[in-house]
Amino acid sequence: MQVFLQTIVGGVSLGAVYALVALGFSLVYRTMGLVNFAHGNVVTVGAYLASTFYLSTKLPFALAMVVAIVVTGAIGLVIERVLRPLENKDFDLMLIGTIGFGIVLDALIIMIWGATGRAVPSPVQTAPIDLFGLRIRTYDLVVLAIAALATVLLVLFLSRTKRGAAMQAVAMDHEAATAVGIHVGRSNAIAFMIGAGLAALAGGLVGPLLYVSPALGGALGIKGFAAAILGGFGSIPGAILGGLAIGILDSFTAGHFQGYSELVTFLVFTVIIMVRPTGIFGERTVNRA
Amino acid sequence: MVRMRATLAVLAVVLAAGCSAPGSDSEDAGSDSGPIKIAVVDAQSGQLSSLGAWELKGARLAVDEWNAQGGVNGRQIQLDVFDDQGDPTIGTNLARKIDSEGYIAMIGTAESAVTIAMAPLLKQAEIPNITSGQSPGLVATKSEFLFLNGPTSTTYDETLAKHIVDQEGIKSIAMITNNGGYGKGEHDAFLKALRSRGVTPLADQVVTADQKDFSAVLTSIRQKNPKVIFLGAEEVESGLIVKQARDLGITATFAGAAPQGTPVFIDTAGAKNAEGAIVSSPYLSNDIDEASKKFAAAYKAKFNEEAELHGAKAYDGTQILLTALKTSNVASGKQLADAIRATKHDGLLGDFAFDETGVGIFETSIGVIKGGKLVAAES
Repeated sequence: MQVFLQTIVGGVSLGAVYALVALGFSLVYRTMGLVNFAHGNVVTVGAYLASTFYLSTKLPFALAMVVAIVVTGAIGLVIERVLRPLENKDFDLMLIGTIGFGIVLDALIIMIWGATGRAVPSPVQTAPIDLFGLRIRTYDLVVLAIAALATVLLVLFLSRTKRGAAMQAVAMDHEAATAVGIHVGRSNAIAFMIGAGLAALAGGLVGPLLYVSPALGGALGIKGFAAAILGGFGSIPGAILGGLAIGILDSFTAGHFQGYSELVTFLVFTVIIMVRPTGIFGERTVNRA
Repeated sequence: MVRMRATLAVLAVVLAAGCSAPGSDSEDAGSDSGPIKIAVVDAQSGQLSSLGAWELKGARLAVDEWNAQGGVNGRQIQLDVFDDQGDPTIGTNLARKIDSEGYIAMIGTAESAVTIAMAPLLKQAEIPNITSGQSPGLVATKSEFLFLNGPTSTTYDETLAKHIVDQEGIKSIAMITNNGGYGKGEHDAFLKALRSRGVTPLADQVVTADQKDFSAVLTSIRQKNPKVIFLGAEEVESGLIVKQARDLGITATFAGAAPQGTPVFIDTAGAKNAEGAIVSSPYLSNDIDEASKKFAAAYKAKFNEEAELHGAKAYDGTQILLTALKTSNVASGKQLADAIRATKHDGLLGDFAFDETGVGIFETSIGVIKGGKLVAAES
């Protein structure tokens, strides 16, 4: 029983990070119908920026995160601006464009920070909480709280603000949205910016849990993408649920199938997707291709 | 005019090498003019890039020392770097590339799985290769062109088991290894060393090479309450395991081979968490003798960082290769491989004497991590 619960606890904290990555994927997808393949690399950029400001310029962790989110958000704007001429014209080229940006970001990371990577000490130094023999890291709770807060803010933005409602409208029918005077390009730019910001949030939070290296985003990107698909690509609650599900699934397969855990994780994922191709929340409304 | 002739000569060599059929005799590559081309193949990006960076520094230092003294037989040595990203597929592509571009020998890689993948191609191309890998799988390739610049896992783990079981009398041991080339070798070698002492590990857990969360594995180990946990995984993964283990309240001592003595491991785990870890290594510190002090000083002067095991290994390996080039009068292919095998080298890791398997060093020492640094164990 203790192993069971501890496994869930371990899976949930990484699951929350996967959920943040999945949110970024989903947000861009629902707005533009585009899978942003550079997303994983943006996560790495975010992780490096946050750790650089935290370690080198000695900013408080929270402030370092904010700076990282702002800078990566700007990178998201640049990506969208470059791809904008292709919007609604050549979908495949846009996809290739995001892959290209991923490679450029990867190269930039290695040029700026080198290939070796760095360990980030945890900003929360308190000892883990002991709950009936169950150990919960305080930093994990911080990660969960921030992930939850980010989700709530995102949902409020999409449902309560005019700009958010406009983005919803573009997601549903971009031609009708244009007809009623909504600037589709601006809407896309905001989606890319928020998506990149979420990636930086995920990268910055995961730094102290893992090891920041150029390879960081690759692994997180794939798991985050799988999480978005599992939850229902484009769905906000789906991304959250999918992220946590992938995290916990991963944690359990690691315990039971050892060296074959990755294989089993993705087998289970494939079976779920075969049974329910639209994912748990089955939104997947956007199809512009 | 002289310069132009030299350029033409180099061009001719490149063309000749480029035109030869793949796998054909590369005798022509080692022609007797122009620089001697040696390839360093190692991860320069990805999670294993710190290994690649150290190895490159060690090799660079050795080559620069020789070049400063006039090179080999009056020819300069040209050291070129290729990034294998720690990926066996990229490694095999690079094996073909260095063959077609006329490199006469290769230094690297630091990752056993990559080297094992490259070995058949290098054997076919007759390019001698001095690797920093330590998996017994390297010996199993039976390539007479493959040499190890350090001991195999068998030696590391035999020494470790001797220290833990025979000397300390600890029999309550758990194992965590990964399913990559290095981890698999460590798993088999340490298990064999334990079995030969009649010890069965309390737990034998296998993780994947890019796993990030070890809660399930560590919690089940915690319930068995071992005194020592053996780690058979690379620097970063081992560090993550130790960090998460301490967070879960595991107080056991960790033990392992080369990766557990590196700064990357200590940084990732956190110095406090890594404290007391037992390490089996052929190069414990920079202050063992005069040679290591001289090496460490030169290393520090050139790269402005502390020397460590992997740099020392690559330095030794490169010294052996260059010595063999000198004694064989810049031979290539089979002749160079034989010259390497015949080279007796008093190196930083010990006295190298290669046997027919390509292994030249058969002992390691035990160290302990104290205050964030690896020091020799008191015995």
